[in-house]
Amino acid sequence: MNLDISATEYISQVRNGTISAEEFVSKTIDRIHAVENKIHAYITIDEKNALDAAKTIDKKIRAKEKVGACFGMPLSIKDNICTMGLKTTCASKMLEDFIAPYDATVISRLKAEDAIILGKVNLDEFAMGSTTEFSFYGPTKNPWNTQYVPGGSSGGSGASVSALECLISLGSDTGGSVRSPASFCSVVGLKPTYGLVSRYGLVSYANSIEQIGPVAKKVEDIAFILNIIAGRDPHDDTTMEKKNDDYTKDLDAGLSGKKIGIIEQMTGSGIDREVLSATNKAVSKLQDLGAQCIPISLDAVEHSVAAYYTIASAEASSNLSRYDNLRYGFDFGTEGFEFKAYVAKVRSNFGPEVTRRMLLGAFVLSAGYYGKYYLKAQKVRTMIKSQIDEAFKKVDLLLAPTMPILPFKIGEKIDDPLTLYLLDINTIIANLTGIPAISVPFAISSSNLPIGIQLFANSFEEKKLLQAAYSLQQTANLPKVPI
Amino acid sequence: MVENNEIKHLGDLVKVELKEPEKYVKQVEHILNYFERLDKVEFASEEQLRKEVSFDNLREDKHEPFLTDGRLLIEKLKKDQNNFIRAPKMV
Repeated sequence: MNLDISATEYISQVRNGTISAEEFVSKTIDRIHAVENKIHAYITIDEKNALDAAKTIDKKIRAKEKVGACFGMPLSIKDNICTMGLKTTCASKMLEDFIAPYDATVISRLKAEDAIILGKVNLDEFAMGSTTEFSFYGPTKNPWNTQYVPGGSSGGSGASVSALECLISLGSDTGGSVRSPASFCSVVGLKPTYGLVSRYGLVSYANSIEQIGPVAKKVEDIAFILNIIAGRDPHDDTTMEKKNDDYTKDLDAGLSGKKIGIIEQMTGSGIDREVLSATNKAVSKLQDLGAQCIPISLDAVEHSVAAYYTIASAEASSNLSRYDNLRYGFDFGTEGFEFKAYVAKVRSNFGPEVTRRMLLGAFVLSAGYYGKYYLKAQKVRTMIKSQIDEAFKKVDLLLAPTMPILPFKIGEKIDDPLTLYLLDINTIIANLTGIPAISVPFAISSSNLPIGIQLFANSFEEKKLLQAAYSLQQTANLPKVPI
Repeated sequence: MVENNEIKHLGDLVKVELKEPEKYVKQVEHILNYFERLDKVEFASEEQLRKEVSFDNLREDKHEPFLTDGRLLIEKLKKDQNNFIRAPKMV
């Protein structure tokens, strides 16, 4: 059985009886067992429940009962999204025994449409990182070359879709965490507009900037899943009823007459030569399709990394203060400890990146420094937003490479946090301003590593964004994943 | 300049016993030096990004017991004893 099909193809094959949900789920589980020792995308695999659910769905299909839109398609979920009865570890020692007592809204919506949760996938601890190396459970490897990082923090999502270990994955994107692994693993990844998808049940890291986003093989699969997960949720009052009617409709509308702004600050110096040449090629392909491409300057971008890490660290240090190992956490008795000493002792089990961000967050929020860092960061955020608003008066979409460099070797940059932070420069503006952005696989480098192109649209213009991404996707003819 | 005792103090603030504070000194200092650029940005406006939501769009402020598998959430928490959470002594 061919596992290398899109979610959309899966649905039509199950519908017309060519394959059954059980067959496909079972073959996907075999695939997981065959490649996991090389990839390590999964933290938890829920084999038995997945197969039982697939059988139930097949029965419903055979009995011609009503079946949900997903027809039993197997999904992987980033392990910072709560799944009832299944561990949600955030790839942290602090939550190694945590079983969520409820489903995140995105999960209950997917289950209601007969999606199957195959398991939970790896991430940088609490989603803090760009490489998935900062996981308590060890790094995930890039299916295109297992010596290389898969991007992050949703590296398990990117790798599991790319290595055919599921059809679609949900990740979360705080500074590029869905788009970076999508780019590095040659799959599609969307960060929706802030407020389009409910964050209820997403373990909090930086609430004002993060969103749950899908990773899939094709743009049409992203549109399909967005139809299910998007929309107002009373459990998350930052969500808004601004869902477009049907994201899968008119995906092939084309680009004729559309104006695309090429972000100058992301296509100049400091960018890998092959990434730049792929970007230029993408621009010319879009022009061939009738789009008008013009350079756009967003000079506030040069301050964005400092502003982003100030805000993200500040929110992280506040959010992570709840982990005292008393209400939930790993097994460690309280006998013989004084309260403060106990909490400080158990919290020393946070990994190095989480600890660094909590220290940074405490520093930038402390008396005397607040005005110098946090307040200025918020003003930079406003400045970027107003430049983006101006840009969208002139163009329909913005374009830049998703990542400024090619995937790199595991361990190569792990001891240099600032260098890793600077790799987020092309993605974080979407998080700071709330706008949607998508990474589309576009090219493979001479060293056989993937290159993704990123498109941005104005807030709640996902439909326009997906149409453009679909057009771009049709111009790329990419080889199959070598694993 | 960030020093060992400053990092230790930050460790106290975030309630983490830092085994090797010196490991973090250089990295945190390096990152904070980079953040310094924020202080040099010239702003045309003092405005800060915020989104206003009207009260009508918020859910009703009504108590709803959170049940999971028919049990109250507190009963599922670790170290629960008769609806109390057992913690180390405070004083």
